[in-house]
Amino acid sequence: MKLDFSTEEQAFRSEIATWLKQNLTGEFAQLKFCGGPGNEHRSPQQRKRWEQKLAEGGWSCIGWPQQYGGRSCSIEQQVIFHEEYHRAGAPGRLSLLGEGLAGPTIIAFGNEAQKQKYLPGIVAGTELWCQGYSEPGAGSDLASVKTKACFNETQGKWLINGQKVWTSLAHQADYCFVIARTNPASTAHKGLGFFLVKMDQPGIEVRGIKQITGTSEFNEVFFNNAECDAEGIIGAPGDGWKIAMGLLGFERGVSTLGLQMQFRNELNEIIRIAKQNNAYRDPAIRQRIAQSHAELKIMRYNALRMLSAQAENGTLQKEALIYKVFWASWHQNLGELAIDVMGPEGQILDKSNSGSEYTLNHLQAMYLFARADTIYGGTNEIQRNIIAERGLGMPKEPRA
Amino acid sequence: MDFTFTKDQQLYHDSVKRFLTAKVTTEYIRQSWASHTGSSAKLWQGLVELGLTAMLVPKAYQGLGMKLLDFILLAQECGRVALPEPLLETTMVATPILGTLAEKDPRCRSLLHKIAAGEARIAVLHTVNNLISDAHNADWLLLPKSDQLHLLARDQVRLTAQASIDPSRRLFTVEWQGSSETCLTSGTEGVALLAFILNCGALATAAQLLGLAEAMLAMTVQYTIDRQQFGRPIGANQALKHHLANCAVATEFAKAPLYRAAYTVSQRPSQADLAISHAKVAAGEAAVLTAKHCIQAHGAMGYTWECDLHIFMKRAWTLDKFWGPAGFHKNRLRLWLMDTKAKIGADQTFSTQS
Ligand SMILES: Cc1cc2nc3c(=O)[nH]c(=O)nc-3n(C[C@H](O)[C@H](O)[C@H](O)COP(=O)(O)OP(=O)(O)OC[C@H]3O[C@@H](n4cnc5c(N)ncnc54)[C@H](O)[C@@H]3O)c2cc1C
Repeated sequence: MKLDFSTEEQAFRSEIATWLKQNLTGEFAQLKFCGGPGNEHRSPQQRKRWEQKLAEGGWSCIGWPQQYGGRSCSIEQQVIFHEEYHRAGAPGRLSLLGEGLAGPTIIAFGNEAQKQKYLPGIVAGTELWCQGYSEPGAGSDLASVKTKACFNETQGKWLINGQKVWTSLAHQADYCFVIARTNPASTAHKGLGFFLVKMDQPGIEVRGIKQITGTSEFNEVFFNNAECDAEGIIGAPGDGWKIAMGLLGFERGVSTLGLQMQFRNELNEIIRIAKQNNAYRDPAIRQRIAQSHAELKIMRYNALRMLSAQAENGTLQKEALIYKVFWASWHQNLGELAIDVMGPEGQILDKSNSGSEYTLNHLQAMYLFARADTIYGGTNEIQRNIIAERGLGMPKEPRA
Repeated sequence: MDFTFTKDQQLYHDSVKRFLTAKVTTEYIRQSWASHTGSSAKLWQGLVELGLTAMLVPKAYQGLGMKLLDFILLAQECGRVALPEPLLETTMVATPILGTLAEKDPRCRSLLHKIAAGEARIAVLHTVNNLISDAHNADWLLLPKSDQLHLLARDQVRLTAQASIDPSRRLFTVEWQGSSETCLTSGTEGVALLAFILNCGALATAAQLLGLAEAMLAMTVQYTIDRQQFGRPIGANQALKHHLANCAVATEFAKAPLYRAAYTVSQRPSQADLAISHAKVAAGEAAVLTAKHCIQAHGAMGYTWECDLHIFMKRAWTLDKFWGPAGFHKNRLRLWLMDTKAKIGADQTFSTQS
């Protein structure tokens, strides 16, 4: 066990802190605390340029191997990066799905040609990705996807037909990773393929879905003979489920550390407001603030513990299963705390931005978005089933 | 002791419920979001014709002379459909207040006549709220200042709209200057009436919260029957059953304190604070818990603007904070319990005093 940072790591910390200080200026200064879940509609163009700025400074995909454009940073260095990134109030990462999910999946399961083709755009911050898993009939029951992929010999391409839904940031993405049925006669986990599909093509239509926040971050995506290159399938037809599940492992991995730093900022903001409007005098509020802090620390220590175990033996342990339900529930509670601390003001929409009729302030958006935390990426109920069945070895629920 | 409502109360309740369900649909509410006033003269007229505005006005002023207890089920129905009209401020808050002052104040008498006839709407401010709802549609405003209660016409005040997180609610901050002319009462009577306003407002809100909770629960139960995952309705999963069963327990059990509170205001005013705070806490908890589990059970669908659930959730979230949030009302309960004269102890567990 080693719970402190070394001198080299401290040096790394001041390197990234200095870089952020020097570069989060000019046109990027206004991006501070901008974007992220619940606020993705804000300044997407500039935030994409910011991704490219990060890349120029060598600060994109830092955990990736050097040979694929990363920096092979250790877990500790990645932690430091996320801490400093959020301490500086740098904007929500538009390339999260590419850097955190698509890239690692391609590195783990893709062939060399695929790595050469898709990774550089992610590293450079020029190509954004989205995740095409859920469908109208396949939410928690992901294995029941119906979207079909059929190889057309004359065109030498895969043709994809079907519909995805809840696809976050599809309207900004250049690529989508899609799970689709390669064997039309198959059911459940078998006969699925994992495809990398270019978004800008006639066979794809993206329609925004308005959320309870009044903004639109996720979409319906319709595939009507959408084309995917023959080389656009990761692994073999039939490997889709294995790859999709491997990717969910990354979802629970390092990228969540950044999330914690965002949580820290939110909690700090709540504490600031509570002091300012005297909400902290209410003992119930004080207790909830203390509780939130204690649990946030629990998350942090456990994430580090989990990641160091992963670094050691290359697999995620039982703790990883627990992590999603813990942080999602915690964050939802934090939203409720925020709204309670804001008092009557918490009901009133943002006046500074009267352009659109339904404009939430940062914490209101967080409050509403946190309703979805316990839903996306596996609902709380599904996570608890996994903990009980796989973690504790309890008898499985009957399956239809 | 009898917790049941009379046959008449129930019959009237049924007809109001039928009317509201037919007229105040979620399509209607969505249209009201886009309209300038958020209100409909035709709908208001329908409410007037049902006798709702006249109900609590004393008979001497052409009202029906009924009690808050007679109105409580109706207030619950207003919540069930998330009614976007300022009915309850006028009927359950302003009317009883004006009734108290009517004998000595001709302004109150004439206003009560108008309320009964459906010709006047009143908006009410209280210091626990800071914001006043539906003041733009009101003809008169009841406004507190220290120990005074003032009555001003809408053109005597300045309103600034404050958009609410619930698009159905029209909230305002109000700037105004009172004078001896506009002052209805002050001193001890003023203080007592301001406390009465708070109680009436909290009672009306508690009733709406329960109606909202029941509406959310009903639509979610239906959703869990219709939505299939893993080859069966999602409602077949115990996890969801338990969530929704917890909501049913909270909501059903919050009814008794609500009805008791309504009874208490009419029959035992000295215990109203305690009973109403209890009702508001229980109803708020039931509604907030129900909102939480209902969106969860809807999955991503519940997070969309298109799904009707958020109409009810947002109303529940904002009403939970209006007329005193849970902390405020729990504090009133605590103050009573900690009072050295409080009647607590084994022999007082089922005391009629609490
Ligand atoms: C903000 C947001 C962003 C999203 N982004 C993406 C994205 O980018 N790409 C993507 O592919 N998807 C995305 N999703 C979709 C997300 O993955 C699904 O919402 C999630 O898997 C749940 O599916 P569902 O919404 O269909 O709910 P359902 O599966 O219909 O579930 C409804 C309810 O039933 C419960 N339930 C279902 N089965 C069981 C069971 N066996 N036991 C107990 N309870 C059960 C659930 O827990 C839930 O409470 C997003 C969702 C949200 C809210």
